[in-house]
Amino acid sequence: MIKNRLAKWVFGSTFVVTTLIPTVAFAAEAEAASGEWQSYVAKAFAAAFAIGVSALAAGYAMARIGSAGAGTLAERPEVATFVIVLQALAELIVLLGFVAAILIVNMPVTPA
Amino acid sequence: MSDVATKARTRTVPAGGDYGYANARIRGMRSRLLDRSYLDMLIEAPDVKRMVQDLADTEYGPDLEETLIHGVDAANVDIALKNNMVRTFQKVLGFLNDDALYLVTTLLGRWDVFNLKTILRAKHMHLEVDEIADGLLPAGQLNEVDLEALSSVEDVRAVVDTAATWGLAFTAPLREGYTEYMKTGDLVSIELALDRYYAEWASRRLARRGANAKLARRVLATQIDVGNLVMVLRLQKEDVEDIDVADFFLPGGAIVGIDLYQELAGMSDIDEVLDRLRGTPYGRTLDEAATLFLEQNSIAVFERALEDLLTRRTLGLAKGDPLGVGVSVAYLWAKQNEVTNLRIIVKGKAVGMPTSRVREELILV
Repeated sequence: MIKNRLAKWVFGSTFVVTTLIPTVAFAAEAEAASGEWQSYVAKAFAAAFAIGVSALAAGYAMARIGSAGAGTLAERPEVATFVIVLQALAELIVLLGFVAAILIVNMPVTPA
Repeated sequence: MSDVATKARTRTVPAGGDYGYANARIRGMRSRLLDRSYLDMLIEAPDVKRMVQDLADTEYGPDLEETLIHGVDAANVDIALKNNMVRTFQKVLGFLNDDALYLVTTLLGRWDVFNLKTILRAKHMHLEVDEIADGLLPAGQLNEVDLEALSSVEDVRAVVDTAATWGLAFTAPLREGYTEYMKTGDLVSIELALDRYYAEWASRRLARRGANAKLARRVLATQIDVGNLVMVLRLQKEDVEDIDVADFFLPGGAIVGIDLYQELAGMSDIDEVLDRLRGTPYGRTLDEAATLFLEQNSIAVFERALEDLLTRRTLGLAKGDPLGVGVSVAYLWAKQNEVTNLRIIVKGKAVGMPTSRVREELILV
């Protein structure tokens, strides 16, 4: 079970990295190679991808933490604060995606 | 044995294989299990009354309060402990996801077999209903009311007929064994038919894909191995010659297959059996029990050692995958173990058993 999950995570992370990095690189290349509007479109796609994937990941993490947290609270209400902190931690993922998206959008467009 | 996993549910539970909610909840419940020092304190309590006072602050408090209205004595405490266990089991089965419920109820089927065998033995020996209730543990699908109804029928035949009327899946093995019982007057045929039926039924149900089913199969296979080893040792001790040992074999074990079983049964004495088993996972446990066997000359020593090993292994499942079925299986075994220990302490206190003897009787793994 653990091996399967690990394999899924490794596959998922590899997929994200191999897709995200070329997209950002493509955006930079498009800026340099062609007109300005193409680079804006490429940057918009890259930013959308960054925020989209991180939001999905955060949603997944929060769902899992949420169900486990609900289970814990049903038996041990005294650890409520701890559960809320854990639940909030997953939101960091989407915040990081948001920051990445902002950085991509604000990348300077260099003339060809 | 009906398919509990498909029974109507009264409320929504996590579907499929989401173990997060159930396992987190079980971990919370696990933190309230009594530790060894608490059991020591209960053993040292001067009487049942004091023990009840100590237990009142634990999970058992509400059940004790409810039952002890009728008087503080060992019998009522025993009922309260059993009630607590039944309530806890029902609670856990109520919030498990479908996948876990299917696997756990399959494993808990062993308690139905245990209870049926206890009732049959009691009926065979014409014991009173109260005496039978003492030996029952309603941890399977047959609840306390079912078991009480089965206990109050007249004889072995009536138990078989009642099971048939209720449409229990155990009817087939009960009938099959009863025919032989009528001829020989020996309960072994019914008990064996029940054991074999459960082994085959559970192995079939657990023949699914996935790590959780594999884990449950491992628990079942160890149970079956333990059953086969105990049977081989008994056959060796009794030194029976004119029977076909293969008739007593239960299929589905992990280590003890039919070949090894027949080889062990054909050996000249118990020492040889222990030598042959030395390289297997059961070798060390049996070797350790061998010293005590020499003192007591009872197969119960090996039986107890193998049962302890089974309990230890099952409890160890809690340390495996945190999002797997092992957490719930381990908790239910730990709870049953705790209640059994508390019942031993209560009975020990009631009959004035020395604390050292009570400690020996406890299943501390």
